[in-house]
Amino acid sequence: MTRECGLLLPRVCAALADPRQPGSDDTCLEKLLDWFGDLSEAEPTLKLVQDNPCLTELITSVLALPEPSPSILSFTLRLAGILAASENCFQHLQQEKLLVRLFGEDGPLNSALWEDASVRSGWVEGVRSMMRHQPALHFLCSGGGIDVIFTLQGDPSLFVASAASRLLVHMLAFSLESEMTKPLSVKDCDWPVCAQMIIKRIEDSLQSSSVSRIKQSLKLLTNLFGSCHAPWTEVLWLGVAKQVESFLMEESVQAQPMLADLLLNMARSPVFCDTEGSFWALVTSALEHLTPVQAGPLAVGILRLHKCPQDVRIQALTVLLQPMDCILRAASQPLEYAGLLDESVTDPATVESLLSSKSSCASLLCQTLGHLEELLSLIHLPVDLPCTSLLRSLMTILQFCNGLLIPASPLGSKISQILIGCFRLQRSALDVLAVLSERKGCETPVESLFDILLTYLESPNTSPTVLKKSFQATSKWLVCLPEMSCFYSQWQTKKILQDIFVVLQKRLCSPSWEVRDSSLEFLTMLIKGLRDQDEFRQTLLSSEVPRLTEDLLEDPESYVRASAVTAAGHLTFITCFAPQSPVIENQYNKENTVAKLQEILSTDPEGFPRRAVISIFTKWLRQGYTGLLQDTEQFVSRVIQIAESDLDWEVRLGGLELVEVFCVQTLCRLGRPKCPYAPFSSAFTSSVRQNESLQIFCRAKLFGFLFCSLCDCDRPVGQRACDILLALRSSFYPSNTLKDFQETGDSSAGHGIAWLQRTLRQGSLAQSFPTGSGNEVDFQDPESMLLALGTIDLEELHDDLNKSSDHVEKSPQSLLQDILATVGTVEENEADCY
Amino acid sequence: LVFFSLGPGAGQDVGRSCILVSIAGKNVMLDCGMHMGYNDDRRFPDFSYITQNGRLTDFLDCVIISHFHLDHCGALPYFSEMVGYDGPIYMTHPTKAICPILLEDYRKITVDKKGETNFFTSQMIKDCMKKVVAVHLHQTVQVDEELEIKAYYAGHVLGAAMFQIKVGCESVVYTGDYNMTPDRHLGAAWIDKCRPDLLISESTYATTIRDSKRCRERDFLKKVHETVERGGKVLIPVFALGRAQELCILLETFWERMNLKAPIYFSTGLTEKANHYYKLFITWTNQKIRKTFVQRNMFEFKHIKAFDRAFADNPGPMVVFATPGMLHAGQSLQIFRKWAGNEKNMVIMPGYCVQGTVGHKILSGQRKLEMEGRQILEVKMQVEYMSFSAHADAKGIMQLIRQAEPQNVLLVHGEAKKMEFLKQKIEQEFHVNCYMPANGETTTIFTNPSIPVDISLGLLKRETAIGLLPDVKKPKLMHGTLIMKDNSFRLVSPEQALKELGLAEHQLRFTCRVHIQDPRKEHETVLRVYNHLKAVLRDYSVQHLPDGSITVESILIQATAHSEDQGTKVLLVSWTYQDEELGSYLTSLLKKGLPQSTS
Repeated sequence: MTRECGLLLPRVCAALADPRQPGSDDTCLEKLLDWFGDLSEAEPTLKLVQDNPCLTELITSVLALPEPSPSILSFTLRLAGILAASENCFQHLQQEKLLVRLFGEDGPLNSALWEDASVRSGWVEGVRSMMRHQPALHFLCSGGGIDVIFTLQGDPSLFVASAASRLLVHMLAFSLESEMTKPLSVKDCDWPVCAQMIIKRIEDSLQSSSVSRIKQSLKLLTNLFGSCHAPWTEVLWLGVAKQVESFLMEESVQAQPMLADLLLNMARSPVFCDTEGSFWALVTSALEHLTPVQAGPLAVGILRLHKCPQDVRIQALTVLLQPMDCILRAASQPLEYAGLLDESVTDPATVESLLSSKSSCASLLCQTLGHLEELLSLIHLPVDLPCTSLLRSLMTILQFCNGLLIPASPLGSKISQILIGCFRLQRSALDVLAVLSERKGCETPVESLFDILLTYLESPNTSPTVLKKSFQATSKWLVCLPEMSCFYSQWQTKKILQDIFVVLQKRLCSPSWEVRDSSLEFLTMLIKGLRDQDEFRQTLLSSEVPRLTEDLLEDPESYVRASAVTAAGHLTFITCFAPQSPVIENQYNKENTVAKLQEILSTDPEGFPRRAVISIFTKWLRQGYTGLLQDTEQFVSRVIQIAESDLDWEVRLGGLELVEVFCVQTLCRLGRPKCPYAPFSSAFTSSVRQNESLQIFCRAKLFGFLFCSLCDCDRPVGQRACDILLALRSSFYPSNTLKDFQETGDSSAGHGIAWLQRTLRQGSLAQSFPTGSGNEVDFQDPESMLLALGTIDLEELHDDLNKSSDHVEKSPQSLLQDILATVGTVEENEADCY
Repeated sequence: LVFFSLGPGAGQDVGRSCILVSIAGKNVMLDCGMHMGYNDDRRFPDFSYITQNGRLTDFLDCVIISHFHLDHCGALPYFSEMVGYDGPIYMTHPTKAICPILLEDYRKITVDKKGETNFFTSQMIKDCMKKVVAVHLHQTVQVDEELEIKAYYAGHVLGAAMFQIKVGCESVVYTGDYNMTPDRHLGAAWIDKCRPDLLISESTYATTIRDSKRCRERDFLKKVHETVERGGKVLIPVFALGRAQELCILLETFWERMNLKAPIYFSTGLTEKANHYYKLFITWTNQKIRKTFVQRNMFEFKHIKAFDRAFADNPGPMVVFATPGMLHAGQSLQIFRKWAGNEKNMVIMPGYCVQGTVGHKILSGQRKLEMEGRQILEVKMQVEYMSFSAHADAKGIMQLIRQAEPQNVLLVHGEAKKMEFLKQKIEQEFHVNCYMPANGETTTIFTNPSIPVDISLGLLKRETAIGLLPDVKKPKLMHGTLIMKDNSFRLVSPEQALKELGLAEHQLRFTCRVHIQDPRKEHETVLRVYNHLKAVLRDYSVQHLPDGSITVESILIQATAHSEDQGTKVLLVSWTYQDEELGSYLTSLLKKGLPQSTS
């Protein structure tokens, strides 16, 4: 603790304990506890308490209050817990009898204040913090604390209830790990006392007739097996396994969803996944007996495991695939293609009845699709999925949803009636469709897939969110199309592309900005993925899409303008920059596009389009295309002059990124070593090359922008500028000469960091720049700039800018000052919104 | 009906709104706010409390955002783009338009504060907004077949709405923040007499009866005017949209009236955008603004110009609106540093500031501020706090309850002590239950739903044939078979039910033994019973059958002697369920014994 904080703390404690003062802001108390937590990690807590007697005084005086405010009492409980986390400090507080009065039976536990959830929460958190040594454990066990915590598991406040459950898990694990000397066996009665107490209560609850107590204990076990993987957990399990197993069939308890969680956590634990027999048999039985909705999360969790018996995995896969299989079978009787599951292993009655009910059909399918998406997104999937059949099933769902398929089978027609127009399912199915593109097989029914996607893209009933997902799925599959061309002729590809561009043209004119925006994003995605494909380029350029994109640069909605800028920027890769550009006429004039984008950068009233322009320019520059346009130097210079005065910080930041790319490229072009940021190794001489790059930077007016950005009111801008200047300096000054230079130069004479900060703060760098003879600094003078680079202590500035902008305000000292300052002020300000 | 709030901490603290309501099996999240007092995970609600197992998208039916303030919508992009909620989100049109501006504003502060880890990006804000379905006032939006929502005008800020959520005959109204008195640019909140099962009301100003806003406005203008007159500069830190526009109108009109010349600047280049939105959503403003709109648009400012960074150093008086609102960082803080040292200048804080900001420090009276590099900034300029926030006060809350006539009231977003007082008042005056749960606490409210049931035509015809015509005032009992299928209820005749469900009919007979003290022979006892019943049940056909049994409609009575005690006769009574009433009556009659006179 700093000396200043040590001086402030007694007054803060006194203020907190003073009931006449208005209660402190809850965030202040919370942050104060954060600080005490940090302090207790950093230095011995006993010393902290002894050096600052005000802390124990605070606890004493809060305890002495006839009616402390709940928030202060809660704070005190948590503070005491943090302090008592170290054993000797715990003893110290015990001697003062403070802990008993706080956490014992005579404390808030039995007072009216216990009614307040924040007091109960403070109590639990306090106990949790101190539970790091055996004396604390014994203190609680002997004082009846365990009963309190067990009761709190059923607290009306979910926050308190779940904290209590976690606390019990921690105490049990801690007791066993700290107090056991030899490995345990089932029959052993010499488990630590505290652990015995907890386990006894768990067993009692499981055998009780109270549904809520059973559920609490199941939750506790779930938490336990999820967080603790010690061998004794198995011993514990053997004691309760029978009872837990019985809940699988017990309708009245309705603990099935919790059982699924419990079993999943156990399956993930190395203690259980290696066992043979009984545990996995229970999992299999759960997968069989739970309803598909309850078993789903367990099944997907099992399938993610890398260590799991094959038959369990197959059972889990059956649970997940059953609804998809039913869909396929309902759509075509007899099955036209292979189903997802072997008929002999499946018993589809339950799933069929769920699918034919209006209330469960969509939710079962949505859940299943969610799980499939989760599985398919894994890079290493420990199980083979029948991707082609899955794709057919997905396509069937999508057809059901838009009414394209009304099968003759009773189940099929029922499902199609239920699902028609179901947006929820459409969204889920399209998501899975998109991830499935990465696992395409050879027999992929590409043509019908695109037919279905096209109907979605075309239909006026498609909602904007569904449309966006349709675009995403389409672009993913389109990008894969060339890879699949062995099965697919160029002609067919072209046909698909043509159809898609016709739809895109329509969608770009949609009255809904969300649709226009998604369409433009789709276009950009396509260009990124397919710009090297001839068919794609030809089809795109022969469509109306490029012209419409240009029109959208003037869209009333700024998000759309920004997306149009990005799309138009990418279009130039095909229209202007492609080496064998298929453009014949002068339809796509490079200069026009550049001029248009520059105009947007300087005149658009909103930030998003301007940000998009600067990022496109940077992209061009990075890919080396600006040279094809005009003189890069002039281009950069012009752009940064516009960006410099932009009110949007991200445009300025984008401008700096452009400058950075330009610098790297210029230095490379002029023969610098591979890494332009590597410091000079040769002696510090003003070689021709060096001068040349310096002169280029000066001519392009980079330095004015960079130095002004150093004192930008938005910190990320200053930071970036500083990074670039540091890199430039290392290019122009070999590291050793810089040191000499700074030592011998006049920089120390009043031009150190303090000077710079003052200058920067005043925002008048130009008026007091060290190199200038007059009032104005010539940012285009190479010599002055070289001198400036060497003079300013950029490292220190860099360190300063790297700090958070509120590092002063969020320091402990500032926090203590704030708490003190609110003492005595009127409360009125608090009851307000932002 | 279940209510659960995910506010910060376990108390009733104000800070952010995020409420979960379960109504008739549908789960709706109301608001998705952020706590601006924290830079870490505590700023967002812990969504893992919503559902332990299963995905949020599957669990929640929709999310509703009441207005654009960050403590009501700030966590939305996090929720939809990072936590992974992918279902529908509803808000009004103005909220949808303005939300992203405030979110961008705050994202910038976060980046500045190095709190950007686990924070959303610009792209995420846009993607989130694209998922939003905008609703009109009083438009009934069908979320799915059962769940519908409807927005009502809430005042407070442009686009703020109260929402009615309805499933079948159960409904909840969530007020968000609202204001029952019109202000300079907005009208007062209004709602139908919709008699919801539950009204969830904010209670920020639960016990305060606020002084008139006019006074505060006059005070504000006076202070600005005085400062400008003595050549000082006025800094007003604001968030990009919202209160800023209200203050702009105030100053603009005042400048016009007083013919003042000192320049007024708005720093972020957002004036045009603000104008744009207020023009676009003119129907959401109050009557006065709408009426005068044709002659003069209140949001087209003559005196307020865009600010350039260099202007801060200009000599002479000026008024500058600069973002962000709590002097967190950025432009407002930079200008503050420049002007703080001059006692002629003034800073007016028009809103609440969280701890950890320079705004909070100066409002709590600190005048020597530590700046970067251990420098001390001495604040000599005047510091004023003026609350212009528009919440309903105690009177307003009571007024809304009177308008909506809810069955239950639940208070959120207020301090426990103040809420307790209001709770008592509400319970006394309206005789309804009033709840004020702490954050994290679940409140369950039982409703008495009246469930609509379709009645088959056949059954109805049969009932009317008996001569009982339906009458609204006289509810009557109707017999039939209730079929519950696919969330619909139908009452049909038993025969039709059997036919529809393909079931065979089973006859059910109730039997009962009645002991009678009678030493006579069995057939004599039977005769006595027959005569007795014949006398009492004159309207029914009572028959004495040759086999010695008696029937009354479908009821059959047989008598046997008790095996052990010949003086006791056992009457075996049985009847079908259709004659349940008569059967029970008859047994109770027989239990009383036989009259002596009949012998």
